[in-house]
Amino acid sequence: MIRFEDVAVSYDTDAGAGRGPERLVFSGATFEVPEGELVLVVGPTGSGKSTLLRCVNGLVPHFSGGTLHGRVTVAGRDTRSHRPRDLADVVGFVVQDPVSSFVTDTVEDEIAYGMEALGVDALAMRRRVEETLDVLGLADVRARALRELSGGQQQRVAIGAVLAAGPRILVLDEPTSALDPVAAEDVLAALNRLVHDLGITVVVAEHRLERVIHHADRVVLVGDGSVSGLLDPAEAMLSSSIFPPVIGLGRALGWTPLPLSVRDARRRAHDLRQSLANASGAAVPGAGSAAGGLPTEGTASTLPTDASRVALPTDATAATAVAPAAVAATDSPRGPVVQTDRLAVRRGGVVALRGVSLSVGPGEVVALMGRNGAGKSTLLASLVGQTKPAAGTIRVGGLDPTRAKPAQVVRHAGLVPQDPSLLLYADSVAQECAAADHDFGVPHGSTAAVLERIAPGIPPEQHPRELSEGQRVSLALAVVLASAPEAVLLDEPTRGLDYAAKRRLLQLLRRLADAGHAVVVATHDVELAAEVATRVVVLAEGEVVADGPAPSVLSGSPAFAPQVAKILHPLAYLTVKDVVAALGEAS
Amino acid sequence: MSGRSRWRTAASMTLVLAVGVAAFGWPFLAAPGSQVGQLGHGTDASFVFVLLMALMCLVLLAELSSGGIDAKTIAVLGVLAAAGGALRVLSAGTAGLEPMFFLLVIAGRALGAAKGFLLGALALLASAFLTAGIGPWTPFQMICCGWVALGAGLLPRAAGWAERWLLAAYGLVCGLLYGAVMNLWFWPFMGSSAPAGAGYVPGAGASANLGHYAVFYVTTSLAWDLPRGVLTAALTLVASRPLLRALRRSVRQARFEAPVRFAP
Amino acid sequence: MRRLPHPAPLPRLLHPAAWWVWGAGLAVAASRTTNPFLLVLVVAVAGWVVLERREKGVPNAFLPFLVVGLFAIGLRVVMVALLGGGVTGRVVLFRLPEIPLPQWTSGVRLGGAVTLEGVLAAAYEGLRLAAMLACLGATNALASPRRLLRYVPATLYEVGTAVVVALTFAPQLVDDALRVRAARRLRGHSGRGLAEIGRLAVPVLVGALERSLHLAASMESRGYGRAVRRTRSSAALAGALTLLGLFGVVTGLYGVLDGTAPLLLGAPMLAAGSLCAAAALVVGARRDPRTRYRRDPWQGAEWLVSAAGLVPGVVLAVAAASGWPGVVPQQVPATLPSVPLALVAAIAVAALAAPLAPVPPALALARERAS
Repeated sequence: MIRFEDVAVSYDTDAGAGRGPERLVFSGATFEVPEGELVLVVGPTGSGKSTLLRCVNGLVPHFSGGTLHGRVTVAGRDTRSHRPRDLADVVGFVVQDPVSSFVTDTVEDEIAYGMEALGVDALAMRRRVEETLDVLGLADVRARALRELSGGQQQRVAIGAVLAAGPRILVLDEPTSALDPVAAEDVLAALNRLVHDLGITVVVAEHRLERVIHHADRVVLVGDGSVSGLLDPAEAMLSSSIFPPVIGLGRALGWTPLPLSVRDARRRAHDLRQSLANASGAAVPGAGSAAGGLPTEGTASTLPTDASRVALPTDATAATAVAPAAVAATDSPRGPVVQTDRLAVRRGGVVALRGVSLSVGPGEVVALMGRNGAGKSTLLASLVGQTKPAAGTIRVGGLDPTRAKPAQVVRHAGLVPQDPSLLLYADSVAQECAAADHDFGVPHGSTAAVLERIAPGIPPEQHPRELSEGQRVSLALAVVLASAPEAVLLDEPTRGLDYAAKRRLLQLLRRLADAGHAVVVATHDVELAAEVATRVVVLAEGEVVADGPAPSVLSGSPAFAPQVAKILHPLAYLTVKDVVAALGEAS
Repeated sequence: MSGRSRWRTAASMTLVLAVGVAAFGWPFLAAPGSQVGQLGHGTDASFVFVLLMALMCLVLLAELSSGGIDAKTIAVLGVLAAAGGALRVLSAGTAGLEPMFFLLVIAGRALGAAKGFLLGALALLASAFLTAGIGPWTPFQMICCGWVALGAGLLPRAAGWAERWLLAAYGLVCGLLYGAVMNLWFWPFMGSSAPAGAGYVPGAGASANLGHYAVFYVTTSLAWDLPRGVLTAALTLVASRPLLRALRRSVRQARFEAPVRFAP
Repeated sequence: MRRLPHPAPLPRLLHPAAWWVWGAGLAVAASRTTNPFLLVLVVAVAGWVVLERREKGVPNAFLPFLVVGLFAIGLRVVMVALLGGGVTGRVVLFRLPEIPLPQWTSGVRLGGAVTLEGVLAAAYEGLRLAAMLACLGATNALASPRRLLRYVPATLYEVGTAVVVALTFAPQLVDDALRVRAARRLRGHSGRGLAEIGRLAVPVLVGALERSLHLAASMESRGYGRAVRRTRSSAALAGALTLLGLFGVVTGLYGVLDGTAPLLLGAPMLAAGSLCAAAALVVGARRDPRTRYRRDPWQGAEWLVSAAGLVPGVVLAVAAASGWPGVVPQQVPATLPSVPLALVAAIAVAALAAPLAPVPPALALARERAS
């Protein structure tokens, strides 16, 4: 279906000044994707995954400019002579952010739009719209406005919108990176149906590998300017520079063939669970008591009735044994940095938070978890005074953020919003830092110094918009940290980050906690919570439903357990590192 | 846009400009005893011009897009028009102070005359759709807003602070002129209810009517137009530097005519 | 050929163009008269039809237009009271202190006697404008103008697409602006004031432009611009017609504005030019292979609703042109205007649009649930 013959892509380094020296994105891509396969393109950020995908329907070079070496043929059509629009009935291309791909504003119109442009006659168009709505399970929302839909539904509409024109190939650029786990599952289920029921060929790039690797038939590795051929997924994961925890565990323990899913790994891990249980007897009773029995009972935590009680780790032995980061920092003489008491917030007529009592001490890293709309972002927003509470009190560093002036609040609490670009408006990193110095009234160069500490090597003349996602989060964090707030709040910081960027962020958060900051992270990312959180607070419908040390809350919960915990259930190990360390101790 | 369609566009722009001048300025241009003068009170002539301007609007938009507009341009125009429309929606409370103008001035400057005209017209149309405010005034407003953005694109080259002040001054002038021109289309409608000495008198001659209109404008509209002009100028001064840079960067990034090459 | 609608027509949305024809007809009717009774009747008819046939969820533009109309009446009356008007009446209501103005202001006066006739004339003129606005408001409320976008001629397809994109993006931009403003707090600013607007505008606009590139990629991949296979000859013909038409219009305008120009150069030239230009729109659209999804059908109800609007328009226009009594009430001396029954009947025909048009679906559902 798709043939790459020795394909290389290069861009002019300077578009304005004639033909400057060319920058090679990748070269030597030679492979042929057979019909009906789901091919996963794997590579670190900036390796050229997107460029490779955009070659498939000719967006590179027709739309982006640049030079295409070699030849790409799709269903017998050469992209040299066919523009992307001439391939619309053969290849459907779904861009990363579904919202920005919408031309119209209702589901039905959006699905019909492409066919209108192709000149499909009215009767056939009507039929195909109905079929597409059914295939993607969108019939209930057909007349709804696109902006009212959930993230998963929006992504499915984006898929439907390209699928309606009848292509046999679907190309998706990171379709689930920006989605929460439930929405991602929703989209992947839809994709799976397309592959298995309709035999559509799918090429997908995704850095949340744990979500897709077990669906993949073939893997293409991209990195360091080269592109591999079509590889078997297990084989590819052996040499891939990025991999999910389940692969990490398999690789660390030398399992062959490499298990790709939790199910496979769990079958394989029978002996491991035995030896771990024997090896670290100290860890098991504690963890067992927290997570034993049915998984649903596993969220063994005390419901907060009293703010001071909540902050105490309920199971000190488990916490110290399993998660070394959890050095009980709560008993600091300074008392809690962030404290809310029976906080209630209404947003647009809906009760977003109801009776939330929470306190976070210096040195703690608290992960706020829960589904979309559970009130995570609202809680963070009210901590910096962006929303006014309907009832209850908030104290951040001894200050009431709803009453204080913004300039005062930022000295006590700094929030990195979900989209870090919202904080950035200067033309270069250097100017951004200077502006932050000015905003916070700190000596010139402070922000730049913070940035250099947390993310060394970002070129100061770079435009903030041109930074990678990880660098942009770092820059926003540096801006926020410039005023040295006691409480550092992050809203969904790992959205769109690859594994390497995520690892750097984790280290950074740990360092911040060690330096005495109170860190609160609202996240869907269970691996992040497992790695770095000392405490996990689960919100549902605006109420706290679980609050306790990370291992006990995470390991037993079916929704929030990290992959390692799922593999080793009922043992309360959360990360590969923990497992390796425990085995090392044992031997 | 090829060379041939470029001159055609320029020619039709000029002709529509002439139609526009007539459509707005006919109360002054109509000679005594002319056919317009004989139409009696101004209402009938106004109707003719409303229809004519609507047609001109469509024809000009069709002409500007006759070569086909590529997807990038459509998307950029659509998004900027949305920004203009959103500004108008957000400012609905400020009694028509229309901060949209500063966006038109700056975007017209960055995009150039032809795209600027399209942007101005589309931004106004989008805002009319958003506020459900479509009426006979819409074509007049579209053409006027198009001219505002087009003019910004035609201003002489300048850079740095000179450009900022140039655009701000232009914004002030536009704010005032827009009001003066837009009031013209319904002024003859006022009929006998216009204040004494400030109404349209058919057949009274250009200078008399011009005087009447000046009085009418100063007494009714200046109080709105002056703040609008000042607001546009102030916003342009404050925001033109970062916005122009951002726009120019985006235009560069979009690589509208990026070279496409194939190597064996 | 004209098929009467089913006794109880199934709920559906009427073709938007039918409502616009209806609204335009009624607005023309209002523009032809200054009889306050007729004008109030026009407003009442428009309001009633909106009440009966506005789809649920469509913003009710009728009320804001009505408010603007009332404001226009008030403004006119105040202006006439302060500055005097074109009507010099005999019944003096009261006298404002007159402020003497220098000679060069020729004919302008400030203050002085306020006459009943002057005030009434201003109120009638204002009412006429208010009634026209009410018709437009009603049309905007009955048929959301964005639904008309589906019917733009193919020549304007690209422009129409840009407007659709703008309408899709605008609410997102409003959200973005609010989020950026909230984020300004995180840097210690309130996000208010003139200087902040520049700061707010940059991230919003840059983000939007970035997304516009994704949108362009998505449109290109979905076949935008593919089906344009206008033949060279039809394009050239359309271009020539456009230029010819515009030239004709300009010449015609010169003709009608200049008293000495030959008669042929005026209105006929203007009409011919307009026709030419309109033809260019049609010729350019010929052979356009693009199709449209789910156009509203044009059926009997559409014909009937259009006719219901056109009847008062035509009748009032004829009445005004031939000077029927009661169309333009006597201004000096002020008397109670008569109510010509024929004209009342003509305007009442427009009200038939409500029973003639099918009930819009969501409204029908809501009514069924309520009963």
